Amino acid sequence: MEQSRKHFLKNMFIGAASVPMILSACKKETVATTGSGSGSSSGSGTGGATCTAAPEETGGPFPTITPSSLVRTDIRDDRTGVPFTIKITIQNTNNSCAALAGAIVDIWHCDKDGYYSEYGGTGMQSVNYTAVHFLRGRQTTDANGLVSFTSIFPGWYSGRATHIHVHVYNAAGTSLKITQIAFPEASASAVVLVNTTATGYTKGMSGYTYNANDNVFSDDTAGVEIAAIEGSVSGGYTLTQIIKVAA
Amino acid sequence: MKKRIVRFCYRKIIDASSEKAWDKLVFESSYKEFLMQSQFYNQEKKYNGFAELLISVPASEKLHFLVSASVIGYLQQLKGIVPDVPDNLGKHFMKFNNFRFEIINSDIKDSSAHKVAINFFSDPMTWHDTLDNYLLVSAGDGEKTEDGLLTHLLQLQPLLSIYSLKEEDES
Repeated sequence: MEQSRKHFLKNMFIGAASVPMILSACKKETVATTGSGSGSSSGSGTGGATCTAAPEETGGPFPTITPSSLVRTDIRDDRTGVPFTIKITIQNTNNSCAALAGAIVDIWHCDKDGYYSEYGGTGMQSVNYTAVHFLRGRQTTDANGLVSFTSIFPGWYSGRATHIHVHVYNAAGTSLKITQIAFPEASASAVVLVNTTATGYTKGMSGYTYNANDNVFSDDTAGVEIAAIEGSVSGGYTLTQIIKVAA
Repeated sequence: MKKRIVRFCYRKIIDASSEKAWDKLVFESSYKEFLMQSQFYNQEKKYNGFAELLISVPASEKLHFLVSASVIGYLQQLKGIVPDVPDNLGKHFMKFNNFRFEIINSDIKDSSAHKVAINFFSDPMTWHDTLDNYLLVSAGDGEKTEDGLLTHLLQLQPLLSIYSLKEEDES
């Protein structure tokens, strides 16, 4: 199967290579193949179908190397909610839990209504590129092993306690740890106050899955995955958490 | 007569043989991002190819979306103009705000297997007529001048399709 596919592709490239000769026969300066994508599309040798106008314009755009759009401090995009600062410190268990500088930290969490950014709908549904990765971010730890993100306090969805996903990589991008941060949930906790009193958070706490019943956090009886959270609904909250990795 | 409003889709394919500077940057960035993000679904490193990962770990289907973050910056550099699809005067005229990124194939051990597509969805255009294998179109409703509506001739070509069609009564 794979072999025949390779053969097929190979033939297509031979077909594509013959296109410039057909085109040169057109004796028209402004013809060319239709960009880099055509190598895998044309091979029928009909010529006319690929004989299209080439760009005749002032040069540009001039592409420059751009980091992933995940690399940012403010991960809100168009999402609204209670202001929330996330401070995560990465420590290295292979170095007496000293701060790990230069580690890459990805985080992602749901919005106030419990939704993640993702492709929705059917296979080819289009998305606007300006706000597609809301509440997802990436930072590199500083000399103190710290990364900070500006976000909104996450809501919750059925079956899960409030949480933040974290993926820690070394500087080369190799995965060191995939984990989640849990939230305190006592009566005056941020989770309770935000969900029952903050504007826009409409779910309350009815039907909420507490940490003890959460399928990810229920085994964390010592509470090491539960972050410290300070602040208020009006002034916003700050989360701090230490995550230990073996680097 | 009904007025036909269409949105085009140009499916730009980028692989190891792509030669343009922009295409190469997209290739390299998206492969690096794939290597990073796929580790979430492949924690035991059991799978090398994207196809086998998809079959074994269905949730890895999200990698299309997740890896798309690596190309957003490059989309912004296009300033809203669809690449590679000029009108018959050789000018790029098609505008886009929407896209969809796909991983066609990849392999954590072999960058040459990495192949992606960016689907550019044009902003709505009016399709007036068809001349041979050219479509006579206007951006949006068309700019009205003393000579009538301004138009572009767009040649049918591989990897370019009409994504959606809406018919409206002429006003």
